[in-house]
Amino acid sequence: MPCERKPMRYGHSEGHTDVCFDDEGKCIVTCGSDGDVRIWESLDDDDPKSINVGEKVYSVALKNGKLVTAVSNNTVQIHTFPEGDPDGILTRFTTNANHVTFNSSGSRVAAGSSDFIVKIVEVVDSSQQKTLRGHDAPILSVALDPSDEFLASSSCDGSVTVWSIESQTQVAQWKIIQKSSDVSNAKSLCRLAWQPHSGKLLAVPVDLTVQLYDKNTWTHVSTLSDDLITQVVNVVVWSPCGKFLAAGTVGGNLLIWDVEAKLCIERQKHEKGFTVCGMAWHPSGVRIAYTDTEGCLGLLEGVSSSSPSSSSTVQSTKATAAKEKNDYDDLFDEDDDRMLDEGMSDSRSPVKKPVMEEDDDDDLMPATGRPRNRGSFLDDDDNSQDAGSVKLDGVPEEDGSSAILPAVGPAVSRPVYEGPMPTQPQRAFQPGSTPVHLMHRFMVWNSVGIVRGYNDDQDNAIDVEFHDTAVHHAMHLTNTLGHTMADLSQEAVLLACEGTDELASKIQCLHFSCWDTHKDWIVDLPKGEDVRALCLGQGWAAVATSALMVRLFSIGGVQKEIFSLPGAAVCMAGHGEQLLIVYHRGTGFDGDQALGVQLLQLGSKRRQVIHGEPLPLSRKSYLAWLGFTAEGTPCCIDSEGVVRMLNRTLGNTWTPVCNTRDSCKSRSDHYWVVGVHENPQQLRCIPCKGSRFPPTLPRPAVAVLPFNLPYCQTTTEKGQMEEQYWRSMLFHNHFGFLSSSGYEIDSEGQSQAEKEQQELLMKMFALSCKLEREFRCVELAEMMTHSVVTLAIRYASRSRRMALAQRLSELALEKANQFQEEELEEEEPTYQRGSRQMSSRQAQVENGCEEEEEDYPQEEQMDAEESTETRKPSLNPIKKGGKSPERPSPKPMSREGRVNPFKVSGAGKSSSSPAGQPRTTNVLDSMTVSSRKPTPLGGTSKQGKAPVLKPLAPKPKSKTQATLLQMSASKGSSKKLENSQTEAEKVKPAPAATPPASVENVENRKPKTGFQLWLEENRKSILADNPDFEEMDVIKEGMGRFRTLSAEERLNWTEKAKGDSDPKKRKREDEGQVNEQMESDEGSAKKKKPLDTSAKLSAFAFNKE
Amino acid sequence: MDPAEVEFLAEKEMVKIIPNFSLDKIYLIGGDLGPFNPGLPVEVPVWLALNLKQRQKCRIVPPEWMDTDKLEEIREQERKLDTFTPIPSLYYMELTKLLLNHSADNIPKADEIRTLVKDIWDTRVAKLRLSADSFISQQEAHAQLDNLTLMEINTTRSFLLDSLNYMYKLRSNLQPGRSQDY
Repeated sequence: MPCERKPMRYGHSEGHTDVCFDDEGKCIVTCGSDGDVRIWESLDDDDPKSINVGEKVYSVALKNGKLVTAVSNNTVQIHTFPEGDPDGILTRFTTNANHVTFNSSGSRVAAGSSDFIVKIVEVVDSSQQKTLRGHDAPILSVALDPSDEFLASSSCDGSVTVWSIESQTQVAQWKIIQKSSDVSNAKSLCRLAWQPHSGKLLAVPVDLTVQLYDKNTWTHVSTLSDDLITQVVNVVVWSPCGKFLAAGTVGGNLLIWDVEAKLCIERQKHEKGFTVCGMAWHPSGVRIAYTDTEGCLGLLEGVSSSSPSSSSTVQSTKATAAKEKNDYDDLFDEDDDRMLDEGMSDSRSPVKKPVMEEDDDDDLMPATGRPRNRGSFLDDDDNSQDAGSVKLDGVPEEDGSSAILPAVGPAVSRPVYEGPMPTQPQRAFQPGSTPVHLMHRFMVWNSVGIVRGYNDDQDNAIDVEFHDTAVHHAMHLTNTLGHTMADLSQEAVLLACEGTDELASKIQCLHFSCWDTHKDWIVDLPKGEDVRALCLGQGWAAVATSALMVRLFSIGGVQKEIFSLPGAAVCMAGHGEQLLIVYHRGTGFDGDQALGVQLLQLGSKRRQVIHGEPLPLSRKSYLAWLGFTAEGTPCCIDSEGVVRMLNRTLGNTWTPVCNTRDSCKSRSDHYWVVGVHENPQQLRCIPCKGSRFPPTLPRPAVAVLPFNLPYCQTTTEKGQMEEQYWRSMLFHNHFGFLSSSGYEIDSEGQSQAEKEQQELLMKMFALSCKLEREFRCVELAEMMTHSVVTLAIRYASRSRRMALAQRLSELALEKANQFQEEELEEEEPTYQRGSRQMSSRQAQVENGCEEEEEDYPQEEQMDAEESTETRKPSLNPIKKGGKSPERPSPKPMSREGRVNPFKVSGAGKSSSSPAGQPRTTNVLDSMTVSSRKPTPLGGTSKQGKAPVLKPLAPKPKSKTQATLLQMSASKGSSKKLENSQTEAEKVKPAPAATPPASVENVENRKPKTGFQLWLEENRKSILADNPDFEEMDVIKEGMGRFRTLSAEERLNWTEKAKGDSDPKKRKREDEGQVNEQMESDEGSAKKKKPLDTSAKLSAFAFNKE
Repeated sequence: MDPAEVEFLAEKEMVKIIPNFSLDKIYLIGGDLGPFNPGLPVEVPVWLALNLKQRQKCRIVPPEWMDTDKLEEIREQERKLDTFTPIPSLYYMELTKLLLNHSADNIPKADEIRTLVKDIWDTRVAKLRLSADSFISQQEAHAQLDNLTLMEINTTRSFLLDSLNYMYKLRSNLQPGRSQDY
């Protein structure tokens, strides 16, 4: 039997709960220990009606519009249903009642209390009471038999007793349940149930089984059990037809037996295994509602496919065709009304609606099929209609209908559609708003401010509040027109209402940034056209209407372009000059929505960026939020909580960047997004416990979620870095977009981002190197910028991967070539770009756009701009000097050669002074220097070296490499200078140890200094003294010891080291300093190079900090 | 030590505010604060929060423990136990006073909270007096009291120390020969 267990949802706070259906089965009614009775229109009802009836509610029963509750103030109260008004107290006990129940007609209520007493009260006249005394412990449960003759009660004294109501005497008693001292200690709630209609059987949960007693003989007739039951049965309920019996256990099992066959036909497990303490069977028999002790509510759908309620309907249809028709009309009418109702109340979850209605109703047709088929059905044979609709219901026809089917001709000829069902298209909505039917709601909450709508008895008003009070002060408007939609920008508030019979749909704009005295304007739409969605951009407003049109207005109220949409609009968003529209592209199936998206660029460069492509959403979800990041990248969020962002660099595809549901603690919790920021990476949202949207009071607090791209294996270092890298790439795309659309960009931030990306690449490169994945290394290097590739080459060569270094240098060469070509092409446009930026900056200031704030970054930008320009000429000669990119370029090298090596360490720090430095000596320097240009420039100055570098490939000691890594990992060294020197010193021996290739290189070898020789000799003793020393420490210690040597000894070592050298050097050596200067003193440009590289490397190590 | 001084110390506690202005990071001796984004919660010291609040530049988000349910629980705990229960904030009294005096409009159920905190305070100070009393009456040489807050110590310090001093003097005068042990 197909039975679907719906996900549980939060209903009440923890503790005992109870549940029942209303007579028609339209509503689920639950009660809980929080003292509330909630009326749910469906399981997905986000806004159930709550009635507070007391401090704690122990039991609830509902019949004939009377809601009876057993409350902790020792009373049994009546409330009207569905209004929930108190209707008096039915009876009182000396302590609280544990269970209340109606008889089948609803005229009497039985209640069992902890004071050992059972009372039976007439609902209309509460003075007519019958009291049953005889139990010796609190009553657990009571049940009235359908004939109103008997009452069964179970008690903590271990007995189940049947009373004759009339004589108030015990008819039968079985000591079958476990004794306990109190209800709270009882193993089972022991809810009893009489079989409906006949009342022939009484079901009693006994331990792990359900025992059935016969009414006539008061004997035990049968026992229902199942292997699945491991814990005590708590609750039993009969199906309305009386053929099936459902039971819920302490262990969270839900079972259904066919009583006659004693067959367990359904086994379900509570999703968390909590104790089921309340169960109710829907009057139609198709589903069971149940609640647990954690306060959650769940549903079993499609429970009794063969339940007589459907089969009996079938039979009755066959019997009375005329009456049938009427019935169906009734049903349809009722349905139509309900459709509207539900549409109003539940507009935000259209996907689930069809499913709900299908089961909600006693009619046998799915909601979606109804409007289409209704006409043809009515003039068709009734039986075929019925059979067909049974099928449509997804219910296999077993009993009655299958027998009818062959007899009816038309039924066979009419093929029944069994394919995927179309989804109800989702309604238009405003991003960042809460449902329209709420009395107090957010009309919009965005990055500018909040618009709240109040629509209660006293007031119909709109409150506008700005996050930044500098924009405008808060406003309070009376909502005479009944606006339901709103959007808010830095310039204006846009409001709109749908039209009524008399009044046209109106758009109202409060243009508060307007400088004349008329701050608002109102526009009426043509008759019959309603506003569906609206949005504000910078200097414009857009409105999508029911006539499948988008109307553009200027912010001052001038009508501008109008254009048609291919489908009904779902929502719109505006940012700057961009307009994003989502509409229904067609009909979705099986819960999916078919949405299309258009992105338009308004303003000076008018064009369509996205031409109505499908908008990707998660399966069976609908669009929940649409908007732009603060930086202007389109973003959408679906009801499954997946945030997707447009990736402009990959052909306008959508990349999932976050799943808000991952951060939710419970299934029914959601995050209500109010804004997305790319820099810093923030998803601003409001956590909502147990709902999709927040209430207006108490004022919700904004939380910030991080982004997390769903990359594979993010538990590994590799996966993490990949995720970080691509996230960084994606979240810095806006720089490219902004600069291409003429906005000024935060160049500092951009270079920061680039640096971060390159560092990540370098880390990944190092990781793959360690794992000996050389091919992967090359792949990574392909993503690097030229300057970082040279660094990678060095890394590779130092970790003795010659083949890799070889390939990388080829790659570097290629990149250099490529880059130079680009450079030449770009030469001219650069200046243009500069000037355009200047002008656009002015526009920027006027517009007060968000991205570029404050004055000083602009000045910095200016500096960078200027420095770019001044730098250009200085570099150009070099470029012209060597026409071929492969020229050995001695000039730049000699230039570098003349740089004071001590400056190198300074260069690492000099990132704070980005301007100047025509010759960037440090690799990462070029990345810290602001603006897009310098990076390539740094590369150019070095490109000449690439070919020369190739044969170099020095082999370092592996120790050196290790330290390099340590250094890069270590944080903030205070003795920066000293360290960098020692570092350089350490690196220095490396080339000496490597004699591969060219003669030139042999010359390049550096003689060891005296200190190094000494250190090699003494390393062991130092290590022996301090076994836990790191390489750095060894050297430091070594230096200390070396200094303590006498001058003669030191001199000796130095002599040893170089035999014949000029005394100048010796002096320096004596100072115990690392003698880098020596190299430059020797003055050879060629010799200079290895030193230079090592200096760079060391500087890199620090820069990475 | 003056209660005002203790209060001053409490003002360095961090509290969340929701600013309604935009400001970049500010660099202070005590650390960097911000950046301030309108509508986005940010942690600042109490002194700044109060200052901004007075200028109507922010709304203060009450600390998590400043909630009737949590405080009630603490109060029950405090009443049940003879020892001092750990308190969620070392400056609970000062913070409650400061925040409730200056931004009661941002704190739901401000009056209830005030009462609850006062109750907790009274219970704890009563305990403190009781333990001081037994400390003196039993003529102990030392005692250990955990989970006391600065303000609580402050209320009893001067009195307790002075009285101990006096008692010591009185005792040593009474028994000049055995002035060492009291």
